[in-house]
Amino acid sequence: MKRRAVIAGVGHTSFGKHPGRSAFELEAEAAALAARDAGLDPLEIDGLLTDPGFARGPMEGITPHFLRLGGLLGIDPLYTGTEILGGAGSAAIVGRAALAVEAGLCSTCLCVYGDSALSTPGAYAYGRGDDAAYGLFGAVGLHAMAAQRHMHLYGTRPEHLGEVAVAARACGARTPHAQKRRPISLQEYLESDPVVDPLRKLDCCLVSDGAAAVLVTTEERAAALRRPFARILSQAQAHRLRTFTSPEHFETLPAARCGPEALARAGVTADDVDVALLYDCFTIVVLLQLEDYGFCKKGEAGPFVEGGRIAPGGKLAVNPSGGLLAEGYGGGMLHVIEAVRQLRGEAGERQVPGAEIALVSGHGLGMNTHATLVLGR
Amino acid sequence: MDPDATTPPLPEPDALTRRFWEACRQGRLDLCACESCGHLFLPPGPCCPRCWAMRITTRTASGEGAVRTFAVYRRTYHPGLPQPYVVAVIELREGPRLVSNVVGCAPERVRIDMPVRARFENVGEFTLPRFEPAGPEKEPS
Ligand SMILES: [Zn+2]
Repeated sequence: MKRRAVIAGVGHTSFGKHPGRSAFELEAEAAALAARDAGLDPLEIDGLLTDPGFARGPMEGITPHFLRLGGLLGIDPLYTGTEILGGAGSAAIVGRAALAVEAGLCSTCLCVYGDSALSTPGAYAYGRGDDAAYGLFGAVGLHAMAAQRHMHLYGTRPEHLGEVAVAARACGARTPHAQKRRPISLQEYLESDPVVDPLRKLDCCLVSDGAAAVLVTTEERAAALRRPFARILSQAQAHRLRTFTSPEHFETLPAARCGPEALARAGVTADDVDVALLYDCFTIVVLLQLEDYGFCKKGEAGPFVEGGRIAPGGKLAVNPSGGLLAEGYGGGMLHVIEAVRQLRGEAGERQVPGAEIALVSGHGLGMNTHATLVLGR
Repeated sequence: MDPDATTPPLPEPDALTRRFWEACRQGRLDLCACESCGHLFLPPGPCCPRCWAMRITTRTASGEGAVRTFAVYRRTYHPGLPQPYVVAVIELREGPRLVSNVVGCAPERVRIDMPVRARFENVGEFTLPRFEPAGPEKEPS
């Protein structure tokens, strides 16, 4: 019988400032919480995949992240590795864990993201290679250029970006563990400080210390545990290594290639998605993904989000836990975890009634990487 | 503060990019040209990114292009680069794109598709190709 991969356990630290705690300590806490949530003995874990965030870099000298973390956790796995895909890393390692489990390379794989970016000043404000000579710093400039082009081509307005920010913070207000729980108004968004025009402070995601982990195992093993699980129905990735030399760059994300493909592999369409966990490092990325995944037509994401359509109680549930803009910067792993909680029906006040299909996206390295998961009950 | 802190970050030429920066110092914007298929490209690379031929020559660009998109930095990320400044992706008339700055006009006047032309500016020991409006947006200097 074919082995099918499921997510059997989830866990995360609080997100915010953890002064004096190393990212490894946060990762260990998240791993232990995920094991306890699944009801799995840590000795059963025979796979380890990691997404090391940014502040540490992927290597300490010659020691890659998985080697150090696996040693600290006391794991001698059958399968391991670290993915360096920026914000696409977490969705990618969960997808890779599913492939490894289904191929029989391991049976129960721990997938961990962690970082201490908030306690590491300037973690994201790095110059981008030789282009730093022109002042290209951080990820915000590239995303501002995408927003500028969307506004130019389609008449997208600041208020449209603001709808995304306001919706995220309204979701955060319903999420007990969110880093930002105070809702904001559209007026507050419009008055927030400019960072890189056309993006304002409230277009930008939070910076956090924190870690998040999930356990991927076989459906057979999960069925014997006491907790409901989420199925990994399909996955796809697409990357744009040519960056801005690619003709479609700043108009679509690589999601335009892998998003519809992932949905088709799961046998569903955008209309079937009950809850969309869209990577949201900047508000513009949510608008681009609504188009690229087929929730609306190209260029129409601005009007699509008007009137609170993606806010709590709106027609499309997007990032009910607040995402990177309100819940905390969880590298994309918090998006996976919220999808699992929604499918289990344990999201409390923010539960999407009867959620059966969840879409999870990850996006990274200056709009050049993308990973998609479709999860189901 | 580091005495050099007000020097902006500078490129770090390597075996692939050294010729590009040397040409800039001589006031030329040199593109890579594939001897096999004729493809013109930037950034410089070891092979033609279209046909993988290894014989690459250079062709000097006209320096004319247009703003494909841009962003206006309103925060200072480096003391040598005080805000506001405009970072743009320029599409050259010959096809290749590069990241640069739009200078010589107020940030508020920069527009997508605005015609621009290269203007070489010395920064430290480097010469950077920046771009100024080729049309009426240019301010008298
Ligand atoms: Zn060629």
